[in-house]
Amino acid sequence: MKKSIIFLSGILLTLNSCSDFLTEEPLSEITQNQYFTSPNHAYAAVNQLYRGGIQDLTYAASAYNGPKLMSGGYMSGFFDNPNYKGQEQFIVQSQSLSLNAQTSAGYLDGIWDPCYRAIARANFAIENIPLTPGLNDNEKKQLLAEAYFFRAFNYFYLVKYFGDVPLIIDTNQEDIYVARSSSKLVYEQMITDLTYASVEGDLNDLPMPKNNFRISKGTVNTLLADVYLHMSGFPVQENKYAEAATTARKIINSGNYRLIQNGNTTTNSAYNVMRTSDSEDEYMYQVEYMSGIATNGWMATYSFPTGAVSWPGNIFKFAITCEVFLPRPELLAIYDSTEDIRIQEKQFFHSQLTYDYSNSSGTNTETRNFPKMPYLWFDQNALFTSGQQDKDFKIYRYAEVLLIAAEAIAKTEGVTAEARGYLAQVRSRASLTGKTVEVVSNELAALSPNQFIEEVWKERLREFPLEFKIWEDMQRTRKIMRTNINNRGVISFIDIIGATNTWGNIFQAKDLLYPLSANEIQRNPNLIQNEGY
Amino acid sequence: MNIQKKKSDFHRLCKSQLTLLCSAFIFLFSMASFGQNILISGEVLDAKNNTLPGVNVLVKGTTIGTSTDLDGKFQISVPNESSELEFSSLGFLTNVRRVGQSTTINIVLTEDSQELEEVVVVGYGVQRKSDVTGAIGKITSKEILENPSFNALESMRGKVSGVNVFTNSGSPSGSNRVVIRGVGTINSSSNPLYVVDGVAMQDFQFLNPNDIESMEVLKDASSTAIYGARGANGVILVTTKRGNKSDKITVAYDTYVSFGQLRKQMDVLDSNQLLQVIKTGYENAPKYNDYQPGAAPVLTTNDPRLFDANGQPLYNTNWQEEATRTAVSQNHQISIQQGGEKSSVGAFLNFTDSQGIMLNSYMKRINAKFAYDVKPKEWFDFGINMLVNRTNENAVEEDGGGQSPRRTMIEMPSIFPVKYPDGSWSNSLGTTDNFGFEGMANPVHVLQTQERLRNRTQIFGNAALTFHILPGLDLKTQFGVDNQYRNYKDYWPTDLVNISSPNGFAQIANEQNMYWQQETFLTFNKDLGENHRINSVLGLSWQENNFERSSSATRGFSDNFFKYNNMGAAITPDPPTSFADSWAMNSYFVRTGYTYKDRYLTTFTARMDGSSRFGAQNKYAFFPSLGLGWIASKEDFFVNNLKFINQLKFRTSYGLTGNSEIGTYRSLATIASGTALINGERAPASYSNRLPNSDLKWEKTSQFDIGFDLSMFKDRVSLEFDYYYKSTTDLLLDRPVPHSTGFTSVLDNIGEVSNRGLDIMISTVNIETKDFSWNSSLNLNFNKNRIEKLGTNNEDIEPGPFWVSGSQTILRVGESLGSFYGFTRLGTWGTDEAAEAALVNQIPGEAKRSTTKSILGSGLPDWTGSFINKLRYKNFDFIIDFQFVKGGEILQQFFHSTQDRTGYGSGLVETLTDAWTEQNQNTMIQQIRNGPISGQSSELDSHWVSDGSYLRLNSISFGYNFPDAFLEKSGLNRLRIYSTLNNAWVLNAKSFRGFDPEGSSQGGNQWGQNMFFFQYPRPTTLTFGLNVSF
Repeated sequence: MKKSIIFLSGILLTLNSCSDFLTEEPLSEITQNQYFTSPNHAYAAVNQLYRGGIQDLTYAASAYNGPKLMSGGYMSGFFDNPNYKGQEQFIVQSQSLSLNAQTSAGYLDGIWDPCYRAIARANFAIENIPLTPGLNDNEKKQLLAEAYFFRAFNYFYLVKYFGDVPLIIDTNQEDIYVARSSSKLVYEQMITDLTYASVEGDLNDLPMPKNNFRISKGTVNTLLADVYLHMSGFPVQENKYAEAATTARKIINSGNYRLIQNGNTTTNSAYNVMRTSDSEDEYMYQVEYMSGIATNGWMATYSFPTGAVSWPGNIFKFAITCEVFLPRPELLAIYDSTEDIRIQEKQFFHSQLTYDYSNSSGTNTETRNFPKMPYLWFDQNALFTSGQQDKDFKIYRYAEVLLIAAEAIAKTEGVTAEARGYLAQVRSRASLTGKTVEVVSNELAALSPNQFIEEVWKERLREFPLEFKIWEDMQRTRKIMRTNINNRGVISFIDIIGATNTWGNIFQAKDLLYPLSANEIQRNPNLIQNEGY
Repeated sequence: MNIQKKKSDFHRLCKSQLTLLCSAFIFLFSMASFGQNILISGEVLDAKNNTLPGVNVLVKGTTIGTSTDLDGKFQISVPNESSELEFSSLGFLTNVRRVGQSTTINIVLTEDSQELEEVVVVGYGVQRKSDVTGAIGKITSKEILENPSFNALESMRGKVSGVNVFTNSGSPSGSNRVVIRGVGTINSSSNPLYVVDGVAMQDFQFLNPNDIESMEVLKDASSTAIYGARGANGVILVTTKRGNKSDKITVAYDTYVSFGQLRKQMDVLDSNQLLQVIKTGYENAPKYNDYQPGAAPVLTTNDPRLFDANGQPLYNTNWQEEATRTAVSQNHQISIQQGGEKSSVGAFLNFTDSQGIMLNSYMKRINAKFAYDVKPKEWFDFGINMLVNRTNENAVEEDGGGQSPRRTMIEMPSIFPVKYPDGSWSNSLGTTDNFGFEGMANPVHVLQTQERLRNRTQIFGNAALTFHILPGLDLKTQFGVDNQYRNYKDYWPTDLVNISSPNGFAQIANEQNMYWQQETFLTFNKDLGENHRINSVLGLSWQENNFERSSSATRGFSDNFFKYNNMGAAITPDPPTSFADSWAMNSYFVRTGYTYKDRYLTTFTARMDGSSRFGAQNKYAFFPSLGLGWIASKEDFFVNNLKFINQLKFRTSYGLTGNSEIGTYRSLATIASGTALINGERAPASYSNRLPNSDLKWEKTSQFDIGFDLSMFKDRVSLEFDYYYKSTTDLLLDRPVPHSTGFTSVLDNIGEVSNRGLDIMISTVNIETKDFSWNSSLNLNFNKNRIEKLGTNNEDIEPGPFWVSGSQTILRVGESLGSFYGFTRLGTWGTDEAAEAALVNQIPGEAKRSTTKSILGSGLPDWTGSFINKLRYKNFDFIIDFQFVKGGEILQQFFHSTQDRTGYGSGLVETLTDAWTEQNQNTMIQQIRNGPISGQSSELDSHWVSDGSYLRLNSISFGYNFPDAFLEKSGLNRLRIYSTLNNAWVLNAKSFRGFDPEGSSQGGNQWGQNMFFFQYPRPTTLTFGLNVSF
């Protein structure tokens, strides 16, 4: 018996001798101190920035509620979600101009959070790329340029939506309760970042599809030009039009970018090419979507009305469609349908579908009419064959570069032939009657700078109705357009403050910025809410 | 109608089976009657020469019996001189006397002190029940099997005070949620720790209840502190069956077959009513839209597949009936137990096939268990216990939203058939008439063709060596494993609309979890002199868990042939995934119980726990507790003056326990790695995914308990009463950080939750005679949960779930966990309020809501309880078991799509019958509008909330034990037949419209209880069972 006691004491002693039994060593994740030890780590950290920030705002996660970038369309009053807004507070509040920091907190977080998530990841990359062994200088510069681009890109949307925001450009986690910096300061940081990316970055100067879908010098300069344009407008009003013009000219003068030209048929128009092709020299920045890797959810279904899925023949591969982003009649009246290709059936919009289907009684042809809905998102293959929407979301096209240049030049140098030419390129492409660039340019010759700039704004409305530019233009110009459904194509601009939206509600100054989410204010006691909320 | 017919079939079945069973009983009972011969009389006294009334006097081996009168006298006829008389009474030792020549028999019964010597299982050992200072509930094998079910937790419901078992789904695999003395955590698990034969067990719900000998529930700090960092949610100790203690062989067979059916149907629109709703919605369209006069949509009913020549619907499908069935389940258990002087052995085999009432859902289990105990030397014992458990399941989707059958059996329009005459499945799409239904596959189609196979194999066991070093001093060392293999296979066909159409989906996932523990401890258990008794444990423990998972999934099938058997046939594979993690614990524990003069009790317990999951600075923590007890009834005062009290024991305890059930690696800063789409392909991508917190530590629960056990009138009335106050601090909480950091939260120890409550159990023996007895037990639990602190500034936390109206629950200081958060429905806008409504872009007929959100209720009930009555008449027994809940609310999330909106599918009948019209303005239900045409108005508001109180007839059970005489003739030990009807009837609030007032479809624990977007209905089940042993 004594033997057994000795034996057991032995067992007890051996069991006690495992010293690092409680040390954790993760196997499916890398710990931070093991990271940025090889060039691949730096590439992976930058690659991540291509998803998970602004890109999230283009993702159509829900059948009932579009990507977050649509929010401005609702605020403008020119777009509606008639069927499902009854369960989406943010849309109702946008229409009644009563955004609520508390009841729409989740929606606002949905904009704020991805932007800051991307900024934190960019900061992490920016801090560590220079320290990563094995990267040569060119690689470092290129990777840093991309990281700087994405940091600026995400700040740009934050400032447009919320105004002053916390400016965080490092990964210091000691002081996490950062107060808001002035928008001007944030803009200056964007300019610093983008200037580095443009000048030092050693990036290719190519359309994004030709640059392996990575950020190019043209992408950086497009964003920079847009940043200058916005900084010059409300609410910062720091005159940077000259810089905007210079930057836009760099892109234009490189000769590497061009507008898609119309083909012979209406189905071959530039606008249908935009709809169907992801590889064009017009694309400056696009968020990629790809079948089998990352599809854009329900985006294609926003091109048909609610209930279309139950049309005879079971043609849709999706189970829900709805008017998530339905243009209001006031919006559709921006086009003169006798002059503008873009408003013709099956260009930017459509209102009819004819299709064949077979059932027990043979083959039938069915025609369905519906209110004008976005055709740009109509993806034949996704809707009727694969059920997977894989068209890229284009955030910047060359057309916008031209219009930025036209506006900035007119502001600084007057209505020059150059400025007129840029606007004319965009407008003549959309001419149903075949007006050439020269003809359009000549029509613009007699305008004063302010008149000319309004023509640019009109063109922006008509060229980007489904690319979510309308609200940011209203924010920066503080103008709202007026149209007349009995006199289509005629647009005038009035001051937005004091004007009514299409729902009869009056814009106040506070409506030009979103409130900060009540959640974020609660989490960060140093934040002060926007005035009026 | 069809449904009526099916129901009555079921009733007829029950009735005929019952009649058969009754006639069998009567036949057997009459067989058991005998003639009478010798008349015996006598008197029964206790040791102090007092006469004893009510003592049972039974001729052994027969049903002949009587009981003593008020003077302790009796008279009885016995068959012959060799008959034996058995005298028994509660609280006294049974006495048997052979009749012989004498016709007068006087008997003295001695008090049964054994009863007080009853032992209970506690952590790392057993204690005399009288010495225990903690609050411990117990349920025995017999009670578990009284309520036949797949899952032992199901049988525990209502039987132990302080323990709430929520059955949130009626699916055969639906795991019960067990909450002991309230929820004291937000982010960690609120499940108790299950310890089976000394080994911590995962997935306890799959354990075979037939294998269980007893379950002890440790509730207060005095009893749970020995489990330290895993004890805060309470501990359930399970002892499984082993070999026989005596020298004999027992072979037993237990079986039952049960028939389950939908208890009630939800009241949904039939075909004509649905068409009326759509028609009205279209007619109302101009009120909501700027239609040109005459342009309003018109309902047509021309599709020849759905309507006859007169436009009348061809079908009126009752989807609830089509998607459910009479579920036939069966259970077979064979056990062989043998005992002897040196060794004992038990072998157990079980097969259970448990069908769900929704088509094609099932759970099958085959379970084998083997236990062997041997004592090769006087100073050395060895025991081994091995269990292999295999479950195969086809699961029905139960979480979240989606178009799963539990939803579409309510929302699928009844105008569609299950299949068209050409044999094709119907769905809600593709009609030539202008319906605007949302896409849904019909529920029968989904249930019949979607596979969600969950196969699990568990190998569980332990081996223990005990050395008897000195008298009273033992050393035990044991090694235990819980090894689980899980294989999940899914195939979702290409034609399930809004689920997996058009591409189909296949997935295979494999998980392996290996847990081991090694524990060694000394026990010292000894009486020191007459007045002192010591019961001590001192030991150490090592535990480690390794988990790995891999899965692959694919889409893009060209047909439904291959399923998960050839995933290479599909064109768009998802990237494969794999994952691994592990955790470890190292602990030291001690318990010392000291009893003075059998009446003054004290227990000191402590455990030092180290866990890998916590921050480098906080790997170890210490959890002490102290329990005190006083058996007042042993004091002279009570013995002399308050004779009617046979036991009165006061207990109190205070101590600390912890909760460490969080994910692994949460204290470290790590980099998540995956891929990002760039240039049409996947590129490696990684990012920092967590704010580290090297200070991360345990949740700490301090618990105070005070209570008493009282039994009076020779145990005719017993009362257990406990008050507790539990305060959980250092809550492991995702502390919200400004999202401008790029992160949403950091896991931190902040916040505080308290639970206070009462556990009350009253048991009475109302009648106790030889032929007839009636026992009652009333179990009452009160719990009040309150969030005391949150975060750094007590800021609200909105944890989700997020769909309509943002986070549907909120965590707020001063309120209960699991509080529902939304608007208040003030009514519907009247025609005279049109101007006011217009200010918020609404019109009369729409819901009038508050503009701010507030707390609308909580899913956690205030009071829960049960009232169980057991009656015995001769060899018949009868149990009736009521359970109830008072307080607490239900969030009927399904109101969103079955009442607030119409036109996308079918819904509740009151959307038609009680909707707002100009004539019916005093209603909560909005005017009918057609969602697809006119939009909808649906926000989470108070109208969705219903009172959660209910009274349930949980079970009625009727059994017959064959008499000894019959058993002797047939060579049997025991033969019992029984029948049980479960969940027969529920009384709930009128405003509740779902299947069952207890439920949750929102996953896990973190959102509390009683919120569901459709339920897997809980069936009414009729069971017939047989137990035989020889």
